[in-house]
Amino acid sequence: MRSAWTAASIVALAAVVPGVASAHLMVSGMGPLYDGIDHFGLTPQDLLPVAALGLLAGLRGPPTARLLLGVLPAGWLIGGAVALAGAVPAAPVLAWATAGLFMLVGGLLAADLRAPRAAFGLVAAALGLLRGVADLAGAAPGTGAALSLLGMAASVFVVFALAASVTLPLTRLWTIVAARVAGSWLAAAGLLLAGWILRYGARVAS
Amino acid sequence: MRRLTLVLVMLWGLLAACATAAHELRPAYLEISQTGADAYQVTWKQPTMGDVAIHLTPHLSNGWLERAPSDQYASAGYLVRLWTIQAREAAPLDGRTVEIEGLADTITDVLVRVRPRGGAPIDTILRPESPRFRIDLGHRPPTALPAFLLLGVRHILTGPDHLLFVLGLLLIVRERWTLLKTVSAFTLAHSLTLAAATLGRIQLSAPLLNTLIALSILFIAPEAIRARRGGQSLTTRHPWVVAFVFGLLHGLGFANGLSTLGLDRGAIVAALLLFNLGVEIGQLAFIALVLALRRSFRLMAIAWPLPLQLSPGYAIGVLGAMWTLQYGALLVGAA
Repeated sequence: MRSAWTAASIVALAAVVPGVASAHLMVSGMGPLYDGIDHFGLTPQDLLPVAALGLLAGLRGPPTARLLLGVLPAGWLIGGAVALAGAVPAAPVLAWATAGLFMLVGGLLAADLRAPRAAFGLVAAALGLLRGVADLAGAAPGTGAALSLLGMAASVFVVFALAASVTLPLTRLWTIVAARVAGSWLAAAGLLLAGWILRYGARVAS
Repeated sequence: MRRLTLVLVMLWGLLAACATAAHELRPAYLEISQTGADAYQVTWKQPTMGDVAIHLTPHLSNGWLERAPSDQYASAGYLVRLWTIQAREAAPLDGRTVEIEGLADTITDVLVRVRPRGGAPIDTILRPESPRFRIDLGHRPPTALPAFLLLGVRHILTGPDHLLFVLGLLLIVRERWTLLKTVSAFTLAHSLTLAAATLGRIQLSAPLLNTLIALSILFIAPEAIRARRGGQSLTTRHPWVVAFVFGLLHGLGFANGLSTLGLDRGAIVAALLLFNLGVEIGQLAFIALVLALRRSFRLMAIAWPLPLQLSPGYAIGVLGAMWTLQYGALLVGAA
């Protein structure tokens, strides 16, 4: 039963991802701040790991959630600024790192792993830096790009906080298991991304 | 430390002000009506701010709008162009494309209405991301109504002035019952004036209205700070009164999107209801998001330092002051 759900989720994700896999920023027509918000909301490579990390942080309790709520958007801002400064790693590096972080964050959530808070902070920082760089790679530096980055970081903050608030009050076993299942889906999506990178090249996951 | 936070908040406010002009999102309007067997009238209305009009040029692929307009005049806040056309070919509209040049560079929408003689009108909305539309008289779009609903949702969600005022109210109100009363009062008030203004019962010049809305934001900011510091005032004791009074103003602001479009009376009632419903949906979604975030912070047991608790109020105040000066200058210039 569980494998059937996992397969179904992979198919659903596969249907969504190709349409939005391009690295350039969205143009919402409502200004760069909204472009950043739209970009984050329509990019599964951004949205899914942030939501999963939020669920994981919620399972680990308020102190971890508070720490990551600050670290993740800050990492995103720094990563975006680094990209705007022109220091962007090669596309395959970004693609493999994204797939790897999908598997790492998904795996941590699926395992409901208990680890030192600093370790989760490092994962959040890595995720923020990586996706911040990936989102702003190729964007022309300027006020518009900076505001888009601000919109993305604000979205990261909101989505993370909302996801954490889902799992923070959970006490019943089945609800915790449900959250962990979401982690297994994300890890599976990471494997799928890795397969695509091998088959089609780095562009599918950048 | 506190001064530094204040300076940072003010800088952030100025940056945000650069990014978000107060809510000047009135849509433009293009109507193509068949007035006789071969006679057509095209009306183009685009919003203006004083003497300034954003660069928007309508095109129809049969070339009608490339000619000089038959008439052109400025009405309150709008530039109007009219073309009277005598068609030479049969079915001159079917399969043609309407395109708005310059729309992609704006944050406004264009409502398009095609009224074939004896047939049901076709309504659609062109947006910056989709600035063209193919007229297919044999296939009527599902209905124009969702377009007005979406316009309402979009109008509130892209209107930082209205959202900031609602945020200010949410910062003041803490109890659920008071929140319900406050949101209801705001909704009732803006629904009343939205309807009255759209039906032409109330009129207020755009510069004056925008200045008053900016002032309402400037008013709510110190009240939010006062509430956060534990102070008392009429606003903190009876926030629904303030919500109602300023809701009347904000309703006039919402009406900017519909009142001067020139829709006929039958169409405007349905459009009004759906637009208002869209505004409510957008407003409730925003309130739900803020409340969900507040719950999330509570669950995380975050003890925000006082300067950070006050920072939303200061940010709202900076933006309110900025817009008041901006629109006040336009008001003085227009007088």
